[in-house]
Amino acid sequence: MFRVFKQKYPDVQIVENPVAGGGGVSHRVVLQARLAAGLPPDTWQTLGGAELKAYVDGGYLVPIDDLWDELNYANAIPKPLADMVTIGGHRYTVPLNIHIQNILYYDNKVFSELGLKAPTNFDELMNVVKAIKGAKPNIWPLALGTKEKWEAAFVFDAIFLEVAGPEGYVKFYKGLSDPRTDPAFRTALEKLKELQPYIYPYHSGLTWDESCGLVVSGDAAMVTMGTWAIGYFQSRGWSAGKEFGAVTYPQKPERILLGHTDSYGMAKGAPHPRTCRDWLRTVASPEFQIAVDVTQGGLFARLDIDPKEFPDPVRQEMQSYLRSNPGKLILDQHGSIAPFSFTQAYWDVMAAFIVEPNVEKTISDVAALFETYKVKEEAAWYHWGAV
Amino acid sequence: MVSLGRGVTRAGRKFRTRISEILIFFLPLLFFTAILYFMVIWTIYISFSNWEGVEPKYDFAGLRWYELMFSLSRTHIDVRNNLTWLIVGVLPTLFIALFLAYFLEIWGARKGESIIRTLILYPASMSFIVTGTIWSWMYQPDKGVINTLLRMLNLSFLESRFITDPATANYWLILIFIWQYLGFAIIILQASFRTTELQEMVEAATIDGAGKLNTLFRIILPNIRGGILILLSLLLISALKVFDIVYIVTFGGPGYSTDVLAFFMYIATFQQHLVALGACLAVIIFVIAFILVIPYTLYALKRWFT
Repeated sequence: MFRVFKQKYPDVQIVENPVAGGGGVSHRVVLQARLAAGLPPDTWQTLGGAELKAYVDGGYLVPIDDLWDELNYANAIPKPLADMVTIGGHRYTVPLNIHIQNILYYDNKVFSELGLKAPTNFDELMNVVKAIKGAKPNIWPLALGTKEKWEAAFVFDAIFLEVAGPEGYVKFYKGLSDPRTDPAFRTALEKLKELQPYIYPYHSGLTWDESCGLVVSGDAAMVTMGTWAIGYFQSRGWSAGKEFGAVTYPQKPERILLGHTDSYGMAKGAPHPRTCRDWLRTVASPEFQIAVDVTQGGLFARLDIDPKEFPDPVRQEMQSYLRSNPGKLILDQHGSIAPFSFTQAYWDVMAAFIVEPNVEKTISDVAALFETYKVKEEAAWYHWGAV
Repeated sequence: MVSLGRGVTRAGRKFRTRISEILIFFLPLLFFTAILYFMVIWTIYISFSNWEGVEPKYDFAGLRWYELMFSLSRTHIDVRNNLTWLIVGVLPTLFIALFLAYFLEIWGARKGESIIRTLILYPASMSFIVTGTIWSWMYQPDKGVINTLLRMLNLSFLESRFITDPATANYWLILIFIWQYLGFAIIILQASFRTTELQEMVEAATIDGAGKLNTLFRIILPNIRGGILILLSLLLISALKVFDIVYIVTFGGPGYSTDVLAFFMYIATFQQHLVALGACLAVIIFVIAFILVIPYTLYALKRWFT
């Protein structure tokens, strides 16, 4: 990842400070302590959206509008992506990539054996899971691992997006519609309940990669996961287009990409501000994004990079779609629109729902979460389309 | 003059010994308690502050976060789960350990004892991260060791969903705790069996023709109250602060069925960025721990003064 930066700025020494134990969560624990102690690093990786907003609210990041102007970055990336890192009219970070959340991965062998086509909406999905269950009772139609809870919200989100439409989706996670009266929320829950018997039942014990592993081992036929799963499948010797296929889901009535971004900003009181700006210029550069994004699994933030830079047909296709439809990108609930205090608890409710689908209880639980964590005020910063 | 001078030197020497005694014994103690109680007071202070988000905010928020904490159904579930841990985790460990320790004492071939002791102490020497991972593999419902063995033995009716079943998941986690702490408990109990006084009493009872169980309940138990209280307090505290087993094996799921206060504290502080709420949860854990060690404290004080 740092190779490109080294080539551009050979005299700068990067002190990597990875957190042992991996994962974004442990990294946040250490970062939170450093920031609170007034010892910020120059830069760190943050998700655009609620996580970024938490740092901005705390006064830990400085706006970098001038750098954006210098790089003309607003015109280089999709507008909805720029909006994910724009708070109160200021740009705070440089997006490195886009992770798409609503992707359905499937085992090509099973699909071709049964003559199935990748589903593009919920009705087709139900037909596919029923066909798989009927023909191969030993295979779970849809794999899932909800140990860390967020995975459950992915499955729900895809269904909800189809029912509510893009504006309904954004409105909901901005806290502008009441779950108790929003017909789309209820309908989507009922649909998920209908799908639930076809989902791998022991999901609460698996992490996301283990759930993808069920597809590789032949125990399950499909899995809903973000772009990062491509890297996992490849590490297990599966290549896109050959052993597995992947489509964004749903594609009807409208094909929307739900996504979030890894991005880098500049700390207030950064020890090396000039070097930090060089680093951010590098993050924005095509060479850097090609080097990093291809291996790390996301799409390119920049629209001017040739989609053919991706070795896999899956991302080539998604990047081309995004290139011609940059407005079809929405910040997902994972990234997220709503504050983390809400999102975390919301995942728990969704994970519980897939274990025991109780529509009424879930509606009232979620409604309470919106109020407890004041989503309406906290998510007011985000805008998409007319919402 | 001379004698006076010598006297002063002696007194001075004594005084110097005092100072070094104080330095050796009290400084570490002071260091330890200062850090501990400073942290406790700090946490209590934060629990009344308005620290929400990444940036520390110390302004007074009164009982705002306590009110939120008690209004959340998650807190209620966690308290219930923690109580289950305290009862189902500690009492069986204590009783099984008592019988096993006594059994080893009576029948344990003295030669093989060191081997047996190593064997039973082995689980306690491993971290929960290791044992938790191993047990989660064993519990895995479709490919885990336990269910696979049951299927091989044609005992499929005994198969369980283990940690993925919301109704029983918490108990399966507690079983890991019992397994891991049993050896430790046995060692502590065995040590308290072996005072000369007690050994003599047991011998006398045996000569008088007392049965094995009678000896255990009438002679040994009443005389190892101190050991049992220490063990009980240690087990209760370990069960109360349980975090790692939950983190590794279930992450609190399915739903909140294995969630506990310590895990929620971690999520609230570092995932939800509600630091004040995390502090409130820490205070609750502290209060429960405080109540749990009262019996031992009273016992210790009584011994101190009599």
